[in-house]
Amino acid sequence: MEWLSSTILKSLWRPTVNIVRTRYHADKTRLVRRYGYEEKIWSGGLMPRSEGRRLPMPEYRPLNPWTERRALFGQNDYIDILGSGDLHPVKTLYTLPSWIKGVSGHEYHILLRKKKMFARTGAPVMRPTKWKEYEKRLSFLYRKLNRKTKTGPSST
Amino acid sequence: MSLTLINAIKKLHISAVSQIRLCSAVSNSVHNVDNDNSSLSVIRKEWKFPPQYTKPREVWIENLDTINEKKLGLFELHPLVYAVLPRIDIIHRNVIWQKKFRWVSWAHTKTRAEVSGGGRKPWPQKGLGRARHGSIRSPLWRGGGIAHGPRSGKTHFFMLPFHLRIHGLTSTLSAKFAQDDLHIVKDLEVPTEDPEYFVDLIEQRNWGPSVLIVDDNDYAPRNITLATDSLQHVNIIPFYGLNVYSMLKHDTLVMTQTAAERIEEKILQHLHSNTMQQQAKFKLSQV
Amino acid sequence: MGSRQITEKSLAMLRSLPRLSLGNIRDNPGSRRNPKRGRGQHGGDKHGAGNKGSGQRQNYMRLGYETGNNPFYLRMPHEQYYKGHHHRRQYPPISLHEIQKLIDTNRLDISKPIDIASIVRSGLYNFFPDQKHFGIHLTDEGVDIFAAKINIEVQWVSEPVIAAIEKNGGVITTAYYDPHSLMLLKNPKSFFQSGQAIPRRMIPPPDVIEYYTSAEMRGYLADPEKISQERLRLSQKYGYQLPVLENDQNYNMLCERKDPRQIFYGLEPGWVINLRDKCILKPKDEELIQFYSS
Repeated sequence: MEWLSSTILKSLWRPTVNIVRTRYHADKTRLVRRYGYEEKIWSGGLMPRSEGRRLPMPEYRPLNPWTERRALFGQNDYIDILGSGDLHPVKTLYTLPSWIKGVSGHEYHILLRKKKMFARTGAPVMRPTKWKEYEKRLSFLYRKLNRKTKTGPSST
Repeated sequence: MSLTLINAIKKLHISAVSQIRLCSAVSNSVHNVDNDNSSLSVIRKEWKFPPQYTKPREVWIENLDTINEKKLGLFELHPLVYAVLPRIDIIHRNVIWQKKFRWVSWAHTKTRAEVSGGGRKPWPQKGLGRARHGSIRSPLWRGGGIAHGPRSGKTHFFMLPFHLRIHGLTSTLSAKFAQDDLHIVKDLEVPTEDPEYFVDLIEQRNWGPSVLIVDDNDYAPRNITLATDSLQHVNIIPFYGLNVYSMLKHDTLVMTQTAAERIEEKILQHLHSNTMQQQAKFKLSQV
Repeated sequence: MGSRQITEKSLAMLRSLPRLSLGNIRDNPGSRRNPKRGRGQHGGDKHGAGNKGSGQRQNYMRLGYETGNNPFYLRMPHEQYYKGHHHRRQYPPISLHEIQKLIDTNRLDISKPIDIASIVRSGLYNFFPDQKHFGIHLTDEGVDIFAAKINIEVQWVSEPVIAAIEKNGGVITTAYYDPHSLMLLKNPKSFFQSGQAIPRRMIPPPDVIEYYTSAEMRGYLADPEKISQERLRLSQKYGYQLPVLENDQNYNMLCERKDPRQIFYGLEPGWVINLRDKCILKPKDEELIQFYSS
């Protein structure tokens, strides 16, 4: 009897069952990455910035090729030929500091010369940090050039 | 094939000859016009180094004291200075030298050693699941040092050989002269100190907007100095300041008679003397 | 087509071309090749080991190495053959042939006595007093063709050279200069500009006293009597007729010699040369005169 009633109940009363899967990670909403961020690069297709504001065209400011410095560029470069012969064009490079005037070479050469010429001045005492950096850079370059590099690629 | 080549050469030859005739005809006509003035001074030079294989070039001496051009006389220029083979490549090398030998790049970046801070290891090597780092000033970090960046005081200095520089000067002078862009004036006396006068003069004589005036001494006359002071594209330099770059930058080169002579004299002197000392390799101690 | 036509044609061509400016010049095509950039840390090189094979894969000991033994080449005591050679005096040579060339090309004036200053001024001889160079060694190359009558002063010679010069009626002297006076002779202008007084020439060091006092080498400290005897002896040895100096029209020039303390011809020690005012300042103080005359 009991068996009968249970089968009738089962056949008559069928509640809808929803199977719920718990998706821990997907449903976590504690952290929203890049919330409120708008992609500024147009990824829709052709024509970037078709909807946003346009960048302003930079104002055209032509440089004046006839300022005094540009107009007289190169004056006295041939002074050893056209002048009295006492003066070398390197001596007319008045705008350059003396330690780099007429010097050719890579960083190590120039830094070595600079340090040598600054050593006689008050630089080591007045600017100790700069001085330390010269020394540090020189020792680094010395080790790099002498112990870690060869001169140029081999021919084979 | 060879026939066409010969024909082409013949054509080239003919065209070159016709051009020479053309310009000689022009100069003749001008000469006739000026004969009316009958005040031409024709100067024959006493050469210290006489031109051996080519004739000296003749050039008009012009004036600056009127807007219209007047021819004051004829003047001879040495072909070794004013009519040499115009080597464009040598001119180019001279310009490159002028740009480079004074060029020092002051761009500077700090290395990881020079950026302050960064001595401490930011986090332990292991155990955090993070990438290993030893310093916050490594080049990989924002605000870190720059690897292989520009270091201040990079020079591009070199000296162009002495005779290449002389050849650059003579080539440029010759090219300017051949293109009628070199004018010899008697002196730099102008009647007014008004810039408008000079603008009109340049316009009238078709000298192109920019003019380089070469004087023979350091002090140009008062009027021309004031007249050209406000014109940025008209510049006055002494003869020893002459250089390839300025000659090419300015459309027309205007030289006083003495300046042309001084330049010629200096260059010829170097071409005819022992220049071992100047040709020697550049040493810093020599300057 | 000669080069003259090339020049004329290219100048004529330029007339019809646009104006030459900074914008339209260029170097010859192909004249410059960009530097190559190698790949990798050291520019893709082989780290000094060469290409493949034994160089890369085998280990060669360095030459003479005996795996820890005292090597054979170090076992013997060393005889220092060139010991101290860099301290010795050197005399950069110039040959008679070159002297002849300098004379023929008008670089040397033979109407005046020739010394190291005039030879350096010709521009074809150079020496460096700071590198232990003590002046000119006149060598015998070109003795057979030498044909100039000169009064020359050098620092080192050999016998055939003396003979070649004296055969032509010339005179040769060997003289010692200390490095400082050689410096002055090499570049007199810069010294005069410095405004210092001309110093005295130093006397030679002991080991060359003999050379510079010997008449055979025509030393400047030798006895003139002995020198004339030696001139005659040399002419007999080499078999030429010695021209008589006294009859020569340039006798005065040929007899001109420097004082052993003098550096420049015509200028005495103690004088100051003022190049700007073009005058010579001579010492007046007794003590100075005493000092410079000694």
